[in-house]
Amino acid sequence: MFENPQTLFEWMIFLTRKYLSMFVEGTVLTLYIAVSGTILGFALGYLVGIIGDIKVNEGDHILKKILIKTVKTIFSVYVEIFRDTPMIVQAMIIYYGFRQMGTEMTSVFAGILVTVLNTGAYMGETVRGGIGSIDYGQREGAWAMGMSPFKTMLYIVLPQAFKNIIPEMANTFLTNLKMTSVLNVIAVQELFMAAKTVGGNYYKYFEAYLIIAAIYFVLCFLFNKLFKLVEIKMEGSPDYALAIEYMDNQ
Amino acid sequence: MSDVVISIKDLSKSFGNHEVLRKIDMEVRKGEIICIVGSSGSGKSTLLRCINKLEKQTSGKILYHDKEVKDIQRDINEYRSKVGMVFQSFNLFNNMTVLENCMLCTRKVLHIPKEEAFDRAITHLKEVGMAPYINAKPAQLSGGQKQRVAIARALCMNPEVLLFDEPTSALDPEMVGEVLSVMKELAKTGLTMIIVTHEMAFARDVSTRTIFMDSGYVAEDAAPATLFTNPRNPRTREFLGRYLAG
Repeated sequence: MFENPQTLFEWMIFLTRKYLSMFVEGTVLTLYIAVSGTILGFALGYLVGIIGDIKVNEGDHILKKILIKTVKTIFSVYVEIFRDTPMIVQAMIIYYGFRQMGTEMTSVFAGILVTVLNTGAYMGETVRGGIGSIDYGQREGAWAMGMSPFKTMLYIVLPQAFKNIIPEMANTFLTNLKMTSVLNVIAVQELFMAAKTVGGNYYKYFEAYLIIAAIYFVLCFLFNKLFKLVEIKMEGSPDYALAIEYMDNQ
Repeated sequence: MSDVVISIKDLSKSFGNHEVLRKIDMEVRKGEIICIVGSSGSGKSTLLRCINKLEKQTSGKILYHDKEVKDIQRDINEYRSKVGMVFQSFNLFNNMTVLENCMLCTRKVLHIPKEEAFDRAITHLKEVGMAPYINAKPAQLSGGQKQRVAIARALCMNPEVLLFDEPTSALDPEMVGEVLSVMKELAKTGLTMIIVTHEMAFARDVSTRTIFMDSGYVAEDAAPATLFTNPRNPRTREFLGRYLAG
């Protein structure tokens, strides 16, 4: 019956079987762009958030002051631009912009670049919020013992901020996974592109998009569960063991 | 070499147009236990935070062994590793266990080997009676326990001076007792301490010098025996009125 599909369900099975490799490749590419774009974007976001938090001392060297001020300004302009424009427009501008300037760039590379820059801008703000959520006293506690602001950030603030923003990071990742669909405008052969092509071949758009909707859903669902696990894992045990070997001096 | 560890010269601090500290001059000698008392808002905590460079003074200087502590991060870090601080809100690192709290700064600031850092941590945790809790996280401890850990953590750095910013103000009476008794023991070791406190009996019994602050000035600076029985300044007398009578 799958050779001569009649119902919606039969069409979906038929198209999936016939174009399995296209859907698989689309899924792989979607995952590839989403995962690499998100990881690099997170790194960029952390950089933006951390640098935004640096304070200068009056006695610091003038070059250090200028350098920090300049980098902060560049980052804030970057964050503003990427938060205030749509990702689909950014994709077009970056892809065609580079091509017109004569720089060869594959559409996949452009897709990842757009995802990274977009994620970085949003994550910068998220990290800033995460840093702000850790009470200032903990930092003062570390500073008061001579710990540098950088080490304080590294050992005390960031591990806690990271934990606090896991839900937001999960959100960002899921958004990215779904936003890869707009990259079809720069001819990235991801899932959306696959559905568009497959749907066009038989004029069965509804069925084709239902297939990729199911794929997006399953992917997001699984990743969501994964993030939840990480969150629970980082929560730690509410119990602790008394060190009985040191009890006698009580 | 003089035994003056920290000297504060002409220190003023304003938040906007509000002057919190006005021309403070003060010397801290080795082994002194200085208690700073006074009403809330008189600038006691701000003075202590200025001494540790957590607040930047508007004018004036802080000298450590006759050398000015400049507003350069490296100098500040170096100085702070010698001048510890214990806070009203404990300020333990919530992502670490008690043991890790006590080892982090000795490892990362003083760069001492792990075994030695561990030994130091255990020694000082024993001193404050918190050694059995090395595996606990701060959230699992009571306020008094947290403060005792915070004291042990500060001691691990072998500080020359230890500053206490109202260490018992966030605690219930029983916990106040346990923290104060730890501090009394510390006072006997000869450690130089500056303590901002509202515990008058403690200040009278433990301090070698008591300072009364009022609206940003050092209103009176005297031996506790004098200050608590026969204060010169009318403001001191007024502030201690209930205490003196009782």
